[in-house]
Amino acid sequence: MATTVVNRVRRSRLRRIPIFRILFLALCFLFVLAPLYWTFVTSIKPSDDFLASPPVWFPDNPTLVHYNAALFAYRGLNGLINSLIVSISATVLSCLFGTLMAYSLARFNTGGQHLSFWVLSQRFLPPVAIVLPIFLNYRALGLNDTHVGLILAYTVFTLPVSVWMMFAYFRQMPRSLEEAALVDGCTRWTSFWRVAVPLAVPGIVAAAIFTFIACWTEFFFALVLTSRNAYTLPTVFRAFLSFQGAQYGAASALSIVSLVPSIVLGVLVQKHLVRGLTLGAIRG
Amino acid sequence: MAEVRITGLHKRYGAFHAVKGIDLDVPDGEFTVLVGPSGCGKSTLLRTIAGLEEASDGTIEIGGEVVNDFRPRDRDVAMVFQDYALYPHMSVGNNIGFGLKARGMPKPEIAARVGEAARMLGIEPLLDRLPRHLSGGQRQRVAIGRAIVRNPRIFLFDEPLSNLDAQLRDEMRGEIKRLHHTIATTMIYVTHDQIEAMTLADRIVLMRDGLIEQQGAPLELFERPANTFVAGFLGSPRMSFINGRLARSAEGYVVRIGDLAMPVPAGRTLDGASDGQEILLGLRPEHLTRSQGDAPPPGCVRHEVQIELLQPTGSRSYATFRLAGEPVIAELQAHDVSRPGEHVPIDINMQRASIFDRRSERAL
Amino acid sequence: MANGIAADGRTSGPGRHPSARKSDNWFKWLLVAPAAVLILAISIYPLLFSVWVLFVNYDFQIPGHAYVGLKNFTQVITDPVARYSLWVTVVLSTINVVLEFLLGLAMAMAMANTFRGRGVLISILIVPLFISPIIVGQVWVLMLHSPFGPTNYLLGLLLGQEVNIRWLTAFPWNFVALVLADMWQWTPFMFVILLAGLTSIPPHVYEAAELDGVGRWQTFWYITVPYIAPMMLLAVTFRLLDAIRLFDTIFIMTGGGPGTSTYSASYYLYTIGFTQFHLSRATAGAWIFMILTLLVVFFLVRRLLRAEVR
Repeated sequence: MATTVVNRVRRSRLRRIPIFRILFLALCFLFVLAPLYWTFVTSIKPSDDFLASPPVWFPDNPTLVHYNAALFAYRGLNGLINSLIVSISATVLSCLFGTLMAYSLARFNTGGQHLSFWVLSQRFLPPVAIVLPIFLNYRALGLNDTHVGLILAYTVFTLPVSVWMMFAYFRQMPRSLEEAALVDGCTRWTSFWRVAVPLAVPGIVAAAIFTFIACWTEFFFALVLTSRNAYTLPTVFRAFLSFQGAQYGAASALSIVSLVPSIVLGVLVQKHLVRGLTLGAIRG
Repeated sequence: MAEVRITGLHKRYGAFHAVKGIDLDVPDGEFTVLVGPSGCGKSTLLRTIAGLEEASDGTIEIGGEVVNDFRPRDRDVAMVFQDYALYPHMSVGNNIGFGLKARGMPKPEIAARVGEAARMLGIEPLLDRLPRHLSGGQRQRVAIGRAIVRNPRIFLFDEPLSNLDAQLRDEMRGEIKRLHHTIATTMIYVTHDQIEAMTLADRIVLMRDGLIEQQGAPLELFERPANTFVAGFLGSPRMSFINGRLARSAEGYVVRIGDLAMPVPAGRTLDGASDGQEILLGLRPEHLTRSQGDAPPPGCVRHEVQIELLQPTGSRSYATFRLAGEPVIAELQAHDVSRPGEHVPIDINMQRASIFDRRSERAL
Repeated sequence: MANGIAADGRTSGPGRHPSARKSDNWFKWLLVAPAAVLILAISIYPLLFSVWVLFVNYDFQIPGHAYVGLKNFTQVITDPVARYSLWVTVVLSTINVVLEFLLGLAMAMAMANTFRGRGVLISILIVPLFISPIIVGQVWVLMLHSPFGPTNYLLGLLLGQEVNIRWLTAFPWNFVALVLADMWQWTPFMFVILLAGLTSIPPHVYEAAELDGVGRWQTFWYITVPYIAPMMLLAVTFRLLDAIRLFDTIFIMTGGGPGTSTYSASYYLYTIGFTQFHLSRATAGAWIFMILTLLVVFFLVRRLLRAEVR
């Protein structure tokens, strides 16, 4: 009797997925991929195909002219280079400073709950409220439209992410390892640098990738704080504001150029995604 | 090598008072075991000696030097942690040599010392492996190797065997004892396991609620516990306590339990005893034996009891019966009793039994 | 020493740095310092500076920095566009968060059990999270644009008659377009967090419920929901705090138009500050908006932190 009940439970857990569930998931799948597919196809279509009805689902003569236009005529290449400079620099700074602070908060409870909450609250300040004062100050310091200015701003606005991700990471690392190092003859600094940091490398890599993606995809700060010199890739899309048919190809090509790197990186750190999105609050 | 002297030590965490004034002298080369229930402050005391916690009050001297303000690295102590705390990203060899490297010893010398320590512990073939590829016992050995390679003045052990299974624990216990015989360095060892304490210690320091209850040689604590807490903590099964009353007679004192009168042997002194005093009689299982012959041996009292519960362990059996309504456990020979319910005569050894004042719980 | 580990001396002499212990105390502050200083310099100091801006004239169209009292505030508060944009922000972010939550929960429920290809499907479904919101907007412009995008054509096929919706320029379709783009990007956010919650429920809980004869709906309501309630709260809080920023998709898709009909609070403040350069008025509006946001932060995030510490 008891075994038949258990068997029934077993069997029901392996039940086949009902048909409507497959349908639902297929729709979700299409919903996510259709815009990406359309963008990609548009980026390699000759301009003559744009207005065809029914739409051209795949061009007979794929072309790269739109990439050429996006990178050079619309100066997307400069934006790409600026984005790389700014995102990489800000990622390095944010993860370096963030790891230092996270370690201090996790191990010594520095500043109590207030300090960690203060750092976290930076994440939730509306950018428009911060960017106005930053803009005014940068004007006085001559930092508007410079790499340095944008790097500093990005470092600050990604610090809550790197601090809280690393905080969660250090918290689950056994304290006794560093204590063993202290007794073994390390100072606080060497026990941090030679024991805690090497063990935290996977966490630092994940935090760095999230930080990079955040900088790479950021638009608002870049829009306000840069113009002719330090403009990043997302701000190049301003050129497509008064949308006209001729820009259709370049806009799609530039979208592909910008979204491919961050998607590749994002899928790489998928394992840490939940932790990253919730600032370490949920393990995932 | 060095002695440790602790004077008036307090440790507070905010409102929580973990160590409440400890005075302790550990002579050079002695194996001292700090034992007590969890939360008694023994680990805190150990960590304060290591320098991982700062003393709130009082002084710690190592080798005649006050070390309160020294960092852990400057105290020249080594510590074996409960979870071993092996560095997961370093090979066994680097784990053992890390302390020497951190102090800037030249590489060839490190290699020589690590090799020697590994040989001593029989872990030479493991030197290139990572800790996660080791068994529990092997990790334990590496942790010990990391301590001895430094040749420190003091060894500190924080419950090092509690993560091992029973058989391995017995084996490593023997090895730690052998280690102490070989290198004869001062060792301070924390455990909550009274058997570990009894088997390893030159001296046991029994703690409760941040204070030392009693310290001394293991058998001294076992046979002459200062109070009911010490008596109950050491020994398994526990000592049984029975309410009674002292009465003075011509030959000396008599312990009265219900209508049973048990004379205290003439050779036994009772400090601070008075007529009519309310007491607790403490009987260990081995203080009770099944009667042999016609008369009880000297110092013993004979009494017939009915066995309620029988727990055979093989060579011995623990038999529970009631004395004046209170349960008492006796350790009998396997075939002394065949089944519960049986009536058997028992000899109670009043020479070895403990007697405590009921109110203060202190030994008389 | 008998054991052969030579007695050739200590590895270090007994403490040569009697006051070194004190250094631990400033070590922890030293680690915190770079990040804290940067936040102070780039975020806090400008905010304090902007307090001065609130009460003076700071406007590229009017020279000088004369004291103007509360004029900056009254100008914002009495501006009907400002109030309308706040309203748009509240309505749009509420709709977005609710729809994303429901759809994300449905997706997570549909994928809670393992099946072949589940890992790959998850990887695909989360892709929108890694795309810049400005590009998400651009991608949806490409999709919805009339006559260039394929959406009207596909709808026509589905409905069997010609469809000619101006998605980006006609009310209410411009709002539908904004919601669509937001959902496309952020539903995966709800999905992954809720999925993590669902998969953390130990299977024996469901087995016990099934043995007790609990129905599926009851199982969902009395076991699943209470179990993942903290994750739900966290996901909704985080999403809401981001949703009220609402700027990028509006910027690229509708440009706030037609007219000012799709102005969000952020978009309104951006326009006042950086296309009209009424900087002090925009700062006043930003402070009002920030204080409203901080109220949400304090009520929601504080509670989350408590729940987590527990």
